[in-house]
Amino acid sequence: MTELEHRRNFIKGVMLGSAALGAAAAGMFSDTDATSPKLGVRPAGAADRKKMAFIQWQPHTVPAAWSKGIEEVLKTQQTIDYELLDGQNKVEVQVSLMEALINQGASVIFLQPIDSVALAPSIAKAKRADIPVITLNIDATEAHAAHVEMNHYYGAMDIAKALGDRMGGKGEVAILNAPPGIVIRDQRTNGFVDGLKQHHPDIKVVSDQVADWDRKKAQDVLNTILVANPNLGGVYGVNDSMALGAVDVAKEKGLIGKMVIFGNDGEKDALESIEKGELTGTQYTDVYQQGRFAAAAATVLATGAVPASAFGEQGRLLMPYLIATKETVGEIQPAQRW
Amino acid sequence: MAGRYSILPLVGFFILVFAFFSFTATRFASATNIENLLSGFSFVAMLAVGQAFPILLRGIDLSVGAIVAVVGMIVFDLSLIFGVPGWLILPVALLAGAAAGALNGVLVVYVRLQPFIATLATLAAYRGLVYSISGRQLVPELSTTPLRDPWIIGLETYFDVGRFLGISSIVKLPWIPLSFVALLALVAVLQLVLSATRFGRDLFAVGGNLEGARLAGINVARVTVAAYAISGACAALAALFLVARLTTATEALGIGAELTAIAAAVVGGVSLQGGVGTVVGPAIGAFLLGVILLGLTLLGVSQFVQQIMTGVILLAAISYDRLLALRVRRAGPSL
Amino acid sequence: MIPAAIREPVIVGRGLTQVYGAATVLDDVDIRIDPGEVRALIGSNGAGKSTLVKILTGAVRPTAGTVEVVGQQVHLGSPSEMIGRGVACIYQHSNLAPALSVLDNIFLGRNPTRRLGLVDRPRQRREAQALLARHGIQIDLDVPAGSLPAVKQKEVEILKALALDAKVLLMDEPTGWLASADVANLHATIRKLKGQGVGILYISHMLDEVFAICDTMTILRDGRVVAENAVADISRARAIELMIGRQLAAQTKEASEARVSRMTGSVRLKARGLARNGVFSGVDIDLNAGEILCITGLIGSKRTELVRAIFGCESLDAGSIEIDGAPIAVKSPSEAIAAGIGLVPEDRHRDGLMLGLSVSENLMMATLGRFRRGLLLDRGGMATAARRLIASLNVKPASETRQVRLLSGGNQQKVLLGKWLDGRPGILMLDEPTVGVDVGAKAEIYDILRAARDEGAAILVVSSDIEEVLAIGDRVGVMSAGRLVSVHPAKALTASSLVTMIGEAA
Repeated sequence: MTELEHRRNFIKGVMLGSAALGAAAAGMFSDTDATSPKLGVRPAGAADRKKMAFIQWQPHTVPAAWSKGIEEVLKTQQTIDYELLDGQNKVEVQVSLMEALINQGASVIFLQPIDSVALAPSIAKAKRADIPVITLNIDATEAHAAHVEMNHYYGAMDIAKALGDRMGGKGEVAILNAPPGIVIRDQRTNGFVDGLKQHHPDIKVVSDQVADWDRKKAQDVLNTILVANPNLGGVYGVNDSMALGAVDVAKEKGLIGKMVIFGNDGEKDALESIEKGELTGTQYTDVYQQGRFAAAAATVLATGAVPASAFGEQGRLLMPYLIATKETVGEIQPAQRW
Repeated sequence: MAGRYSILPLVGFFILVFAFFSFTATRFASATNIENLLSGFSFVAMLAVGQAFPILLRGIDLSVGAIVAVVGMIVFDLSLIFGVPGWLILPVALLAGAAAGALNGVLVVYVRLQPFIATLATLAAYRGLVYSISGRQLVPELSTTPLRDPWIIGLETYFDVGRFLGISSIVKLPWIPLSFVALLALVAVLQLVLSATRFGRDLFAVGGNLEGARLAGINVARVTVAAYAISGACAALAALFLVARLTTATEALGIGAELTAIAAAVVGGVSLQGGVGTVVGPAIGAFLLGVILLGLTLLGVSQFVQQIMTGVILLAAISYDRLLALRVRRAGPSL
Repeated sequence: MIPAAIREPVIVGRGLTQVYGAATVLDDVDIRIDPGEVRALIGSNGAGKSTLVKILTGAVRPTAGTVEVVGQQVHLGSPSEMIGRGVACIYQHSNLAPALSVLDNIFLGRNPTRRLGLVDRPRQRREAQALLARHGIQIDLDVPAGSLPAVKQKEVEILKALALDAKVLLMDEPTGWLASADVANLHATIRKLKGQGVGILYISHMLDEVFAICDTMTILRDGRVVAENAVADISRARAIELMIGRQLAAQTKEASEARVSRMTGSVRLKARGLARNGVFSGVDIDLNAGEILCITGLIGSKRTELVRAIFGCESLDAGSIEIDGAPIAVKSPSEAIAAGIGLVPEDRHRDGLMLGLSVSENLMMATLGRFRRGLLLDRGGMATAARRLIASLNVKPASETRQVRLLSGGNQQKVLLGKWLDGRPGILMLDEPTVGVDVGAKAEIYDILRAARDEGAAILVVSSDIEEVLAIGDRVGVMSAGRLVSVHPAKALTASSLVTMIGEAA
C-alpha cells in the first residue's frame, strides 16, 4: 500500500464519517413523533439556557480530548452551558452524576460509561425524563440517542494485518489487555484475533493478560510474559498507554527494532514514539473530531424536536481511523494531535 | 440512650444545610432530587450504620467496601452462572457478608490484630477474592448481560407515596425507594438491639471500658465478633441494593466506600474513642454527606472541591469528638 | 446476730500459686473469710496482693490451688463464674462504661432480659431503687456514669457490687482517691455490709484504715503469707516489720542513719506555686544539686501529673520554674531536655522505651545531637559511648545491638536510666523507677542513682514504695490530693512515721 493510498483512505474515512453523521441524524429525526406529549416541566428561563454535561470515566487523554472537541462546537452557541464531570472510576459515582443531571433537566448528557450494563438503568431513567444520552466509545446495553465510537473492531483487524506484515507472517504475539467488563476490550481483542486469522494464520497469540490500561502495570506484565515466551515477536497494547509500557520494556532489553509493538487510540505520546522509531504503530483516531461529532449530534437533539423516549434504536457512528506507522504518521497534522 | 452525645445538634445541622441548599441551589428541593438523595445514599447509610458497631468497640472496619464487592460478585455468579433463584440468593448473600465480617472479628479477638491492620488485610484479601471469583472474567460474555432475576432486580423499586395518600395532585412528593424503606427498618432494628438488648448494653460496656466489661463477666470475644459480623451483614445488604440498581456487579464495586462510611459514622456522632454512639446518627450522617455533595453538584462546585469539603467535614467531626472526650477526661477521675 | 448454722466461711482459697515465667508471684497462699468478717490484706509493692485479688475475681487462672465459695468448689479463671457465685470486687481504677447510664452500669454484664433478649427495664429499675433505698444512697439512675464526679462514680461501683447480692466483697484500695468525708461514708457502708453477713477482703496501704475498720489481717511478703492475726492482737510497728521484713527494715534504718548529706547547697530547680486546674495546686519545690528528693503519697495524689507538667508533657496553669536561678518556661519535653531536665516515666513500655530498637539506639535517643556530624550520625562514636554506658550500668546481656524488648524489666529500666545519665542532665526525675523490677536489679538501680547524686546530679524520685523512699531519699515530700503537704529530712523518718504521715495527709 502506498503512502498516497493511505492518505486517500484516511480522507475518505473522514468524509464517510461526516456523511454517516448526517445520515444517522436524518434517520434518527425522521422518527419524530410530533404527537407524543412532552413530559417533565422545564423551569422558566431554562428554555433560553441549555445545560449539557459530559460524564467521563476518569481523567485520561482520550476523554480530555473529547471534551475539548465537544466544547469547541458548543461554545459557538452562546445558550449552552457545558460541564465536564468526573466519574472517579466508580460506577456508583457515574450513576449518581447521571441522576443529578437528570434532576437538573440537562438537555443532553454525554457519557463514557465505565460499565455497559451498570449504567443502563440510568440511561433508561434519562430517557424517561426525555433527556438524550450520547455515549462515547463504550456502548451501553440500553438503547439511547447516539453512540459515537472509534472503529474498534475493524481498526484492530487492520492492526493485526500491519503487525503481521512486519513480523513476516509468522511468530508469537502477546496482548496487553484491559480488564474485562467493557465492550471495547472485547471488540478490540476480537478484531485483532480475527484479523490475525484472516491475514496471518501462522501467527500465534501466546499470551493475553490484563494490564489495567496502565503503562506501569504493562511493564510488569510484559516482563513476566517475556520470561515465559522469550521468542515473543510482537505485542498489541489495547490502548497506547499499555503499548508505551511495552516500549519501555523493549528499550530496557534492547528489543527495539526486533519486537513489533502496536498500540491503539493514537495519542500524542504514541505518535511521538512512532516518529522516534520506538513504537511500531497505532490506530489513530481524531478524538477531537469524535467529540465534535458528538457535540454536533447533541445540538440537533437539543432542539427538542425528538423526545428521547422515541429512540428504539440508536444512531451509531464509527469514527474513521488511520493506522499510523513511521511512514504515515506525518500525515497527522499538529492540530489533530491530542 | 442519653449519652453525652445527643443527635439533636446533628439533626439541627442537617436541617440547616438542607435549608441552605434549598434556597441557593435550583432544583435542590425538588421531588426528583430528594428521590436521588434517598436512592443514592441509602446504601452509604447502610454501610455507615454497620460501621457504627466496630467503632463503638473502639475498632474500625476498613473492609466494608471490599465486602460489598465480594457479595455483589457472589450474587452475580449465583444468578448468572449457576441460575440460583433470587429468593435463595438473598439470604446466602447476607450470610456471606456476615461471615466475611465475622472473620474480621476473629482476627481481632483471637489473632489479636489491631482492627485497623486486620481489616486492612481483609480489604486486600477480599478485593483479590472478587477478581478470582469474578463471573465477568470466567465467562466474558456475562459482562454485558444484565441481571434479570425479579427477586434481585425487584429491590430497585419505588413507592409513589403521593398517589398512595391521594395527594399527588396537590404536591409532587418524591417516590420512596425500597432501599430507603429497608434502611429505616435496619436502623429501627439495630437501634433497638443497641439500646434495649443485653447485647447492646454489653457492646457499650466493652467499647467504653474493655477491662471493666471483662471483669463484669461479659463475653468480650463474642461481642466483638458479633459487632464485626453486623458490619459485614450491613455491607451485604448495601451490596444487594447496589447490584439491583446497577443490574450487574463489577470488580471495582464499593472502592473507597469504607472511607465514606467511616466519615458518615463519625459525623453521625459515633466516637472513635469507643463506647459512645447510636445507629440513627450514622444514617443521618450519611444523608448529610449526601445533601452536601448533591447540593454542591447542583451549585456547580467542582468535584475536587467537593472532596476537599468532605475531608474538612470529617476533620471537624473528629475534632469535635476529641474535644468532647478531653472535656470528659478533665472533668472525670484521673488516677 | 448471724445464725451459727451459716457460719461456715464464705470463701476459702487453698494453695493458691501463681507463676509467671521464672517468677513465682504467689506461693502456696491460703486465705479464708467468714461471714461478717472484714479481713485486711496488706503487704508492700510486689508482695502479690493484686495477683491474689485477680485470682479471686476470676481475672486470672492460678497455676495451682483451689477456691471454694460457701463450701462449693468453683471453676477458676472466669469472671462471670465468680460473679455468679456472689464474689464482687471494687477495683482501684474505674470499671464503668462511661456512656451507659448508672442503671445500666449497675447491671453491667447481667442485665435481666425478657423475650428476644430485650432488657427488662422496669425490673432493672425496681431492683436498683430497692438497692438504693436499702443502702441509703442517693443517685440519679439515668445520667451517664461518665458524667458523674469521681466520688459518685465510686458509689456506682459499690452499688454494682452490692447489686450482686454479694457474699464476698473484695475492695482493692477503695479509698485511694476519696476525700476523708467520703472515706467515712464508705466505712459506714462497710459496717452495714458486715452486719448483713458479707465477708469483706480489704486491700489497703493505709494502716490507719486497716486498724479502724478491719477485724483480721493477712500479711503477704514476696508472695507468701507471713502472718495472719486479729487486728487487735498486733501493733502497727509489728505489722510494718512483717510487711517489709525484719532485715530490710533494719537495712532501711541503717541506710538512713549512714546517710551523709552531699548537698552542695545550690538549688538547681526551684518551682513556685505550680498549679494545673483541677489536678494539683500551690506546689513549691527546691531541688538541690547532689540530693535525692523523694515524693511519696497515695495513688491518685497527682505526683505523676506534677512531674509530667514540670517536664512539659502537660501544660501548667500557674506557677514559675527557675533552673540555676534563671526563670524558664517549659512548654514541651524537648525544651525540658534542652534545659537539662530528664524524666524516666512510670510506664516504661508506653512512654519511655522504643522496644523494637536496639539498646544503643535507646541509650542515645535523648542525646543524639552530640553525635551529629553534618547531616549524618557518627555511628562509631555512638557504639563506643553505648558500650561504655552498658558496662557502667551493668546491663545484661552486654550487647548494644540487642533489641530492648528482649531484656528483662530491670535491665530495661537500667537502659532507660542510662538514656538520661549519659546526657548528664543536671536534673533527673524518675516516676516509680522500680515497679516490676526484681530485687537484684532494684539494688543496682539504687546504686546508679546514688552514684549520679554523688556526682552532683539533682534527682527527684516519685515512689509509692515506703522502703524505697527511705532507702534512697535524702529528703522526703508527702503529696496528697494535688498538694505537696510537707517535706522532711529522711534521717528523721521511720517507715511507720512515714506511713502515719501519709495516712494523716489523706
